[in-house]
Amino acid sequence: MALARRGGIGRYYNVNGWLFVAPALGLIALFMIYPIVWSLWMSFQSGRGMMLKFAGFANIVRLWNDPVFIKALTNTLTYFVVQVPIMILLALILASLLNNPRLVGRGFFRTAIFLPCVTSLVAYSVLFKGMFALDGIVNSTLEAIGIIASPIPWLTHPFWAKVLVIIAITWRWTGYNMIFYLAAMQNIDKSIYEVARIDGVPAWARFTHITIPLLKPVILFTTIISTIGTIQLFDEVYNLTEGKGGPSNATLTLSLYIYNLTFRFMPNFGYAATVSYVIVVLVALLACLQFFAARERDR
Amino acid sequence: MDMRIYLPRFSAIVLAGASLLAVTAAQAKEITVWCWDPNFNVAIMKEAGARYTKTHPDVTFNIVDFAKADVEQKLQTGLSSGTADALPDIVLIEDYGAQKYLQSFPGAFAPLSGTVDYSGFAPYKVELMTLDGQVYGMPFDSGVTGMYYRKDYLEAAGFKPEDMQGITWDRFIEIGQQVEAKTGKKMMGLDPTDAGLVRIIMQSAGQWYFDKEGKANITGNAALKGALETVGKIMSSNIYKPAAGWADWVGTFTSGDVATVITGVWITGTVKAQPDQSGKWGVAPIPALSIDGATHASNLGGSSWYVLESSAEKAEAIDFLNAVYAKDVDFYQTILQDRGAVGSLLAARGGAAYGEADAFFGGEKVWQNFSDWLAKVPSVNYGVFTNEADTAVTAQLPALQQGTPVDDVLKAIDAEVSAQVQ
Repeated sequence: MALARRGGIGRYYNVNGWLFVAPALGLIALFMIYPIVWSLWMSFQSGRGMMLKFAGFANIVRLWNDPVFIKALTNTLTYFVVQVPIMILLALILASLLNNPRLVGRGFFRTAIFLPCVTSLVAYSVLFKGMFALDGIVNSTLEAIGIIASPIPWLTHPFWAKVLVIIAITWRWTGYNMIFYLAAMQNIDKSIYEVARIDGVPAWARFTHITIPLLKPVILFTTIISTIGTIQLFDEVYNLTEGKGGPSNATLTLSLYIYNLTFRFMPNFGYAATVSYVIVVLVALLACLQFFAARERDR
Repeated sequence: MDMRIYLPRFSAIVLAGASLLAVTAAQAKEITVWCWDPNFNVAIMKEAGARYTKTHPDVTFNIVDFAKADVEQKLQTGLSSGTADALPDIVLIEDYGAQKYLQSFPGAFAPLSGTVDYSGFAPYKVELMTLDGQVYGMPFDSGVTGMYYRKDYLEAAGFKPEDMQGITWDRFIEIGQQVEAKTGKKMMGLDPTDAGLVRIIMQSAGQWYFDKEGKANITGNAALKGALETVGKIMSSNIYKPAAGWADWVGTFTSGDVATVITGVWITGTVKAQPDQSGKWGVAPIPALSIDGATHASNLGGSSWYVLESSAEKAEAIDFLNAVYAKDVDFYQTILQDRGAVGSLLAARGGAAYGEADAFFGGEKVWQNFSDWLAKVPSVNYGVFTNEADTAVTAQLPALQQGTPVDDVLKAIDAEVSAQVQ
């Protein structure tokens, strides 16, 4: 009797529970799972516009022979390898400086460094484009203080265009990462630092041996978030180069290439889906690598 | 108490209003049009709509103004999603992209072959909207090219307007060097991230990135090779002012820094927007290559109207386009004078506005010239991958600037185009 009753209630709760989550599950299935599965299916098709045909692994073979894809992949990885470490280090340094209670104007600096993150992606890209024009404020300032003799072709030279994109995303996202570190630093017990000071541990060693190890989970989190963001980079490049990824495809990213394949070129949705799965695989691989590098080691 | 008096009257008004609405809803047809330039095709479409509404009061127009890239993206998204609700009745498509849409989305556009008399239009415009024997669009503006030049600068360098007529590109570069030596002005503005000049020169010699069958035509393309050589020479002889982007390029001639502008006729309005330069400009045919089939006529840009097959107002939209754009010669005189639009309806050339002299160009009959050149534009197959090929050419322009041999540049372009074209 009692067992049966309990079973009944259990089933009752189960049914009700599933009923409550059913709308949400249905929506997730419709708007998340179905498109993901469908895009996977699409990546095995090829053709022009709506004339899609099953093509097997033809799209994957095409990736290998596509110099533009290789270029976009190289650019994206360059951004990632150069930009993410610079930004993470910069954010860590800024956070530990701004965590100092004796610093005057802490609130102001925190706000100032975080502010770029709440500006619109498009607005700041357009602004950067103006500032870094051949006769823009950056070149004229650098010339005035004598660092450069002739203006740097920020937007028209393949190397400098990449540098400009890296400057832009670093400016935009450093403050965002810094906020995470600041929050985490305030959770570190002050007594640990106190003990270290009493033992005569110098400030630099306190930073590398106390702050950084205790921030490890947060650093891992921000690294993964930044990796995903950089691999998916689109807005800045689109706006800085008028959607072309120029000069000479030097700033073309994978996301921008997907956009071009879908909306600017002859629409090939199958191939575009294949390139988007390259991003998925890349992000997954890099995240695994980062988890592996940051795993807890037995001492 | 008062309510009793007012209520019947009130409901009577509501009823009358509702029935009025129902009647108008049943009769009025609204044609939605997407296009992109408020000073050009949007304004022209409004003029065309106003003309049609005069004779067909039941048809109204909703002309939506987007950026060109947005029109293309919305159209491409709408067509590929398979739901036609969000699409307009008429859309403007740039000629380079026409075949791409026609071939990738079969059945999306209404064929107009039976309705419109295409023999009256410039043949190259009709050809680029033809697929499997059916013609799909209404030819609109032409991008027939010309060379706008500053008479005052050239005179200071010792050249008369006659010296600018029918020249070759090599002669153009020689003149450019002398202009710079004598006046300190550059010969032209050039945006190294824009392959427009390459396309102009290539088409003037009757070739394109693709042959008539749509196959990539890069390494064996004498016109493309000549175009790249010419651009390379312009760069190495340093007779150009570099520009970053469209606005910057426009600035090179509105500011008076360069002596010539070589582009499509649609730039006329921008050139004339500087009243202080009135009388200083002349227009000549563009220079030609020194190869077989080279001409002084080419095309840059230009676009046409297309009716969506799924449109609820398809019949009205087709009738409207046919009535105004294929028959109304007077309409073409108005848009020429107001907007500088050279249409591709050949009969329009007989109109009064085309024969008029333009004081801005020192009394030259520029419109007559442009329409004469229009008839000579070599017809080429823009194919479906012009955007891809153009991106490949643009990517190689810096290499050309650094002095890479043209044959190597062609090979690099060919490699990139071959990978894209499938």
